[in-house]
Formats: sequence, C-alpha cells, structure tokens
Amino acid sequence: MALLSKAERRHFPDWDDPAQCIFYRVEIDPEKCDGCKLCTVVCPTNVLELYGEKGNKKARVKETIRGCASCNNCQAICETGAIAATRPYDFVGFYRQLGRGEFAMPRTF
Amino acid sequence: MKTDATAAALRTEDPEEIETEAGHRSKVIEVPEGAAWNAVEDAMLRRRSIRKYKRRQVPAHVIRRLLEVARYAPSQGNCQPWKFVVVRDADVIQAMEDFCVEACRKLSRSLDYVNYPHGSFKHFFTRAKAKLFNRLQPNMLHPVPMTAVTLIAQGRFTVFHRAPTLILLLVDKRGIGTPEIDIGICGTNIVLAAQSLGLGTCWIGFSKFLNQSRDWCVRLGVEEPYEICQAITVGYPVGNPTHLIARDTHETAWFEGGKKEILY
Repeated sequence: MALLSKAERRHFPDWDDPAQCIFYRVEIDPEKCDGCKLCTVVCPTNVLELYGEKGNKKARVKETIRGCASCNNCQAICETGAIAATRPYDFVGFYRQLGRGEFAMPRTF
Repeated sequence: MKTDATAAALRTEDPEEIETEAGHRSKVIEVPEGAAWNAVEDAMLRRRSIRKYKRRQVPAHVIRRLLEVARYAPSQGNCQPWKFVVVRDADVIQAMEDFCVEACRKLSRSLDYVNYPHGSFKHFFTRAKAKLFNRLQPNMLHPVPMTAVTLIAQGRFTVFHRAPTLILLLVDKRGIGTPEIDIGICGTNIVLAAQSLGLGTCWIGFSKFLNQSRDWCVRLGVEEPYEICQAITVGYPVGNPTHLIARDTHETAWFEGGKKEILY
C-alpha cells in the first residue's frame, strides 16, 4: 500500500526540466491589468515585468521556470484581480503532489 | 487512598452532570452555517509571507507583545522548548545575510547542476552528486528550496529580505517528543498576532545555516542544547497584499454514520 510506486520513489526530478518540474503558477489577464506596477514591486524574485508602450503597460511573467517563489503576493496585492494563481506547482517522481483537489478561494460552510 | 477513589469516581461520572450540579452552565457558541469569518480566521486567511518591507522599524513594545503571545503557545508536555533571539540592528542582519548568501553560494556551486551547461563534465558530475544527496536528504534538497538557493547565490533573492526586525527561534533539543513542531506552533502565534497588528512576517528556514558558524553562535548566544530552528522576519509590508487568494484543497477522509467519505 503506497501512493507512490517503487519507480516513482526512486526518481528525483531534474530541476531544469519543465516537463518534470512545474514551478510557476501565476497567470495574468492582460484585459484586466492596468499596469499599476504594484505586483512587480512586491514580487520577491522579480519574476514579473511590465511590457508595452507608455500609457498602456501590462504585467507579465518574465521567466517560466526557476524564479517564482510561489508566495502569491502578486495576486494578494492586485486591485483589479488580473493575476490569478491557477496552477499548483507539481513535480514528477518522488515529489509528486498527492491528495490535492481543485484550487479554491476560501469557502464558507 | 481516599483521593484515588474520588478520582476514579470522577472519571466514571458524566462531566456535564457535575457541571449542572455545581450550578454553572458553561456557554456553547453557536456558529450558524455560512457565517462570515471572525477576526482570527480572517487573520489566518489573509496572512501572506511578506518579503518586501518598509524601512521603518517596528516599535520595541510591539515585538515584546508578539513574544508574549508566543510564550502561551501549546507544547508537548508543556515543555516550552524555545528561546528567542531578537535582532534589530540593520548592520547585524546584513552581516547574517552575507553569511547565509555565502553558504548558499557554496551549496549552489556544489550541487545545482543547472549552473553548468548541458553536456559538460561539470553538469554530469554535479547532477550525479545532486541525485545522490537528493536521496539522502529529500526534504532539504526539494526542488523549491534548491531553486531559492541558486537565486540567492545569484543575488536575485534575499535570505532575510532586509526586514527591520528578525526573531530567531531557538529550539531546546532536549524538548519532549518532537520539539521542532512546538517551535512551529510557537512561531504561528507570532505570525498570526503580527498579521492582526498590520505587520508582515516571513518564516526563514535558511537561518539554520548560522548554526554551522561557531562565530555566529557565539555572537548570537546560541549554545548547546539550543540551536537555531527557524527565524521570523517582522516589518511593515510594502503595499497592501491583503486580498484573498485561491489555494489547493486537500483530500480529507470523513468518517461519520458508519460511512467513509472523501471530501476536499
């Protein structure tokens, strides 16, 4: 009885292979983003940047792997709700996430 | 042995009946379905790990207040296996930062194969070493902290996040059962109280590097049987990161009415 197979337990994912390690979980909706720059200020690893011409700047994720610390402060600080943490980080093999359901906002019961 | 007999009788009696006979009925708080979050729950839901701080120092009495609630944390057998070291001098925190950055640099250089180009001997050799160490220390060499180690080594991430105040949580290794868990509970009191007072906090696991330096142990007064277990940075957060966010839901087995259900 084990949730990880023997092969999985022996396999440690390659840190630089995006197929084995998903680090980032931030998605930005350019429709809603008003380019206020708050998320780029609060991001501890400076993964977010502004792009576009002056007056119509939008935020985006600079690098896809090896950067985001998954602190979610960009979503917590965004006034327009343009940023969402939609994907949990996940790894193959030994570090595979177990027993997770859907991403959800705080629910009242 | 009269007292023992009374104790045995008390164990078999219904505590609720005794309460009624004593003449005072304790209050039961009724929580209606779908009720809004109370202040404590709200602090828990809105707490974020803050890594960008204002330069303004937190008043000393507020830090004393946080340590006061920490003292009342539950611990195994009430052993309270903690000791606090508070550092509020920017130059000392910076020196600690420099030490931890150097430790990360060494660790990154010796284990993180991503530093070396694919196909090179260095990449091959370091990767083989990392896979072995990964197996020996799977918790420490998880991909997430290893990424942080390299980011710190590259100067793209900080250890103590230039926070104005740092609380080091020392663990008494002789504590009952699993003293590290008690440190976690104690720190949670600090973190939640800080959140409710408008302060930002962040747990710093990399502070453990300081244990490796005899100089730092002497300077900070970390002596056997104590060692640094975790640290918490405290300061005023930049911006207002208080919006609610989405998070993973976790599988929960629910046993009731002779059935088992899986909830999320």
